[in-house]
Amino acid sequence: MSTNARHFFELLWGMTEKELRARYKHTAFGFLWLIANPLLQMLIIGFIFPLFVKEPVRHYNYFLFTGLLAWNFFSMSLAKVTPSIVYERNLIKKAVFPRAVIPVSIVLSNLINYITAFSLFLIPLTFLGTLTVLSFWYFTGGLAILIVFTTGTSLLSSALNVRYRDVNFFVQAILIIWFYATPVVYALNQIPSRLLWLWRLNPLTSAIQLMQAALVESELPGPAMLASNIGITIAVAAIGLIVFSQESRNFDDWL
Amino acid sequence: MKHNDKIAIQLTNVSKKYEIHHEKPTLVEKFVKGRNETFWALRGINLTIYRGDRIGITGPNGSGKTTLLKIMAGITNPTTGSVTRCGKVVSLIDLEAGFHEDLTGVQNIYLNGMLLGMTKHEIEKELRSIIEFTDIGQFIDVPLFTYSFGMKLRLGFAVAIHSNPDILMLDEGLSVGDAKFRRKSQAVLKRLISSGRTFILATHAVDFIHEHCDRIITLNRGAAKETSL
Repeated sequence: MSTNARHFFELLWGMTEKELRARYKHTAFGFLWLIANPLLQMLIIGFIFPLFVKEPVRHYNYFLFTGLLAWNFFSMSLAKVTPSIVYERNLIKKAVFPRAVIPVSIVLSNLINYITAFSLFLIPLTFLGTLTVLSFWYFTGGLAILIVFTTGTSLLSSALNVRYRDVNFFVQAILIIWFYATPVVYALNQIPSRLLWLWRLNPLTSAIQLMQAALVESELPGPAMLASNIGITIAVAAIGLIVFSQESRNFDDWL
Repeated sequence: MKHNDKIAIQLTNVSKKYEIHHEKPTLVEKFVKGRNETFWALRGINLTIYRGDRIGITGPNGSGKTTLLKIMAGITNPTTGSVTRCGKVVSLIDLEAGFHEDLTGVQNIYLNGMLLGMTKHEIEKELRSIIEFTDIGQFIDVPLFTYSFGMKLRLGFAVAIHSNPDILMLDEGLSVGDAKFRRKSQAVLKRLISSGRTFILATHAVDFIHEHCDRIITLNRGAAKETSL
């Protein structure tokens, strides 16, 4: 049993290394793109968005960057994982191995990229003077929700996409809407409270709010928000695991 | 036939149903049309393979040979019935599949070896022998997109035979690379086959089966019939 688990993690790490190596091969700036991408997004949104908002968010650029890093981790993972089983059909048809390493290795490689970019972001952040002892705990809490939710949705979407290839297009479309349904460019206190239930359905709300609270001292998610977001996260992760393990038995039939 | 009574693979009343999809169904069609057309690729297969058996599977095109191999390997699962498997199965099909073009030969050996069920430690031990066997010289440290097709096949073959499988599977004949490498690979295969490993071969080449196998399974429209030699 323990050799099985060990082999699983060795394989998972091997696939993750492959992802990391392959992504920035043959690029002049290599992993600098990790930070350049959200930086460009931040400059543009940070310029445009404040023109339309009455109540400015404190440390807006930092607030924005915190959300963008987390959002990019989620959206890049989901966009890349969803068609991953179909792309790796050669592997599926050839060998017997735990199929979950394909989606999970992509999420893991994105997580490593995210943490690298975040460590660079910490440097200017320490000069802002908003970090406290609680920051670490809030951030870890937010990160935990983010990772579990991303892994859950990734397992679900990659498994369903084998049988129904529409899922990939659906994910691409929904990600565009989802970005605006997540408090990345705005703070949640700008939303009228009668609409707040919409954000309770989106676990990324609590994840990103916790991170923003940790890094730029913005508002923490309320207890109802946190409870419903965590509930949905756990439900999605459970459904993702069940669907993936069911479907993965017969991936080969559909590839 | 010498059985040492250890079961390698046992199929009990295995059937496999495929849904025929003329095109990939969409979610909408699924809900509108409901059920799909179906096709039984295998029907009620009972088969016990003992350790050291050398099995040849034959039958016309579309009779279920590949499906049977896939079910025995665990790549797909039967619709009904059960499969028990004992030991590591490695199939010598699609040898070049699963390599990554941006990784070097050595990196690909590690990744492919792990996909075939080897641990990192085992690969480290076999690495020199694998590299020697591929015989592609300094190309081993070069990204794979510079390789010729033959070189990739050799790399795939070298990893597969070093993965030390308990059960070796082969779909159709195997011809890898140039004449010299083919001789080398045939020799290794013969050695593997005669080393007491379980060997399962699906092919049309009846001569090859008669030469190398001691049990023959003939498939016809998903049903199996066995002849012993």
